[in-house]
Amino acid sequence: MGEGKKFNLKIDQEICQGTGYCVRVAPELFVLETTEHANVLIVEPTQDYENQIIEAATLCPTRAITY
Amino acid sequence: METIRDLVPPPHIQGIKHFVDYALVDEILRSKHFRQGSHQESQPFFGDSLLTIDHDVHFERRRLQAPLFRKEALEYYEHKELLPLITKALEECKEKRDENGVVRADLCALVRTMLARISAVTTGIDGVDTQERTDAFRNYIEQLGTGATVEWSTEDHGEVISRILQIREGFVKEFYGPSVERRVGLIKEFENGNLSEEELPRDLITLMYLHWNENWDEELPLRESTLYLVASSQTTTHAVPHLMIHLHEWFQEHPEDYEKRFDRDFLKQAGHEAIRLHLPSPALLRIALQDVTLSNDVEIKEGERVACLFTPANRDKTVFGNDARSFNPYRETPNIKPWGFAFGGGEHTCIGRTLVTGLSARTDNDEGTDGTLVNIAAALFEAGIEIDPNDLPTYTELSYHDAYGRFPISLNNL
Repeated sequence: MGEGKKFNLKIDQEICQGTGYCVRVAPELFVLETTEHANVLIVEPTQDYENQIIEAATLCPTRAITY
Repeated sequence: METIRDLVPPPHIQGIKHFVDYALVDEILRSKHFRQGSHQESQPFFGDSLLTIDHDVHFERRRLQAPLFRKEALEYYEHKELLPLITKALEECKEKRDENGVVRADLCALVRTMLARISAVTTGIDGVDTQERTDAFRNYIEQLGTGATVEWSTEDHGEVISRILQIREGFVKEFYGPSVERRVGLIKEFENGNLSEEELPRDLITLMYLHWNENWDEELPLRESTLYLVASSQTTTHAVPHLMIHLHEWFQEHPEDYEKRFDRDFLKQAGHEAIRLHLPSPALLRIALQDVTLSNDVEIKEGERVACLFTPANRDKTVFGNDARSFNPYRETPNIKPWGFAFGGGEHTCIGRTLVTGLSARTDNDEGTDGTLVNIAAALFEAGIEIDPNDLPTYTELSYHDAYGRFPISLNNL
């Protein structure tokens, strides 16, 4: 990803099971709005968040996060 | 032959509440008011592993292990390990060609051989290299799998546990012990500044010893390794025979689809159907942490164990359609995972699921991976797999699992 380019952060709501793991590793980026689903707080985060995004996406038990 | 059977609840889940509706099973798996209730007897093999711990402890352990399943790691396993090993296993089969050039083999054993090294790489077991060592390692995984699923065994459970614990000693001596010793040595080198972290192996055993937790007992890495070794090969070994016999029947009934045996998207959908219908773990037990009233008003008392029966839930007509009990590679399942509960659900969703099903694209520039099921199925069709109508597969009698014990095949194009 080139410098200054932003991510396109999404949670597939059909797959998300609301474990909240993404919120625990990246509370700036995700929020658990209900017990059912998490949501994205910043849709186009900058590269500064790269490590958190990748960790959240990998840690998600249902792999519902794309970027 | 009968290729789709109903779940026969084994003795260990009789007498407790059963849930068979997809929606209720989903509700229980997602709920934070339950904890894991399976694998009570198999504690010597799986105790305190990722599979049996819950909530905060589960999150921390999963976080530690997650790097093993990063996109780059999955791509590495698939392209650098799995594909060459599938080729190698089939090349070795060539030595057994008869006068007509046909190879006869057992599909269950062949798939286990293909997956043995992947299991070794992700876990951190050295020395799975020669055919002899791979066979020995594969046998150990199979035996450890019997111990780790002892609840489902049709044999005397106490005898199974004693026998497999003894066999495990051999595994520790031959494979696990030396692998741990080498990794502990490398970690010391890293701590002394002689190695960088990037130079350390990237596998489960290294991660656990590198990030040792004082609350762990000394044998925990062995039990966690057992989980990885068994689980990383079990799902695919279980699913490929089912997939092959369903496709065999499907192509007989739909000859126009036979050319799709090399179509990876078709194989992927067929694979999802096979694991939806034939789950490697057909049921999961949960224990209520408090009094719970489910959405259907069923009450569960604190401490009560309940059984989520995945097999009937994965054949729920309200979710998968009126033909839910049959194999249909064109099935569409909007809003839910096509494999249903084949990998569990909630926080206990199998951490290695993407090894089996592949990982769909993470970014706009990705292609993702296909996973073990599609890659092995495609290679078997390339090799000209056929099922002998006069020597049909038979189910195992050693377990209540919906698994084949013997699956003779011929490979006609090697």
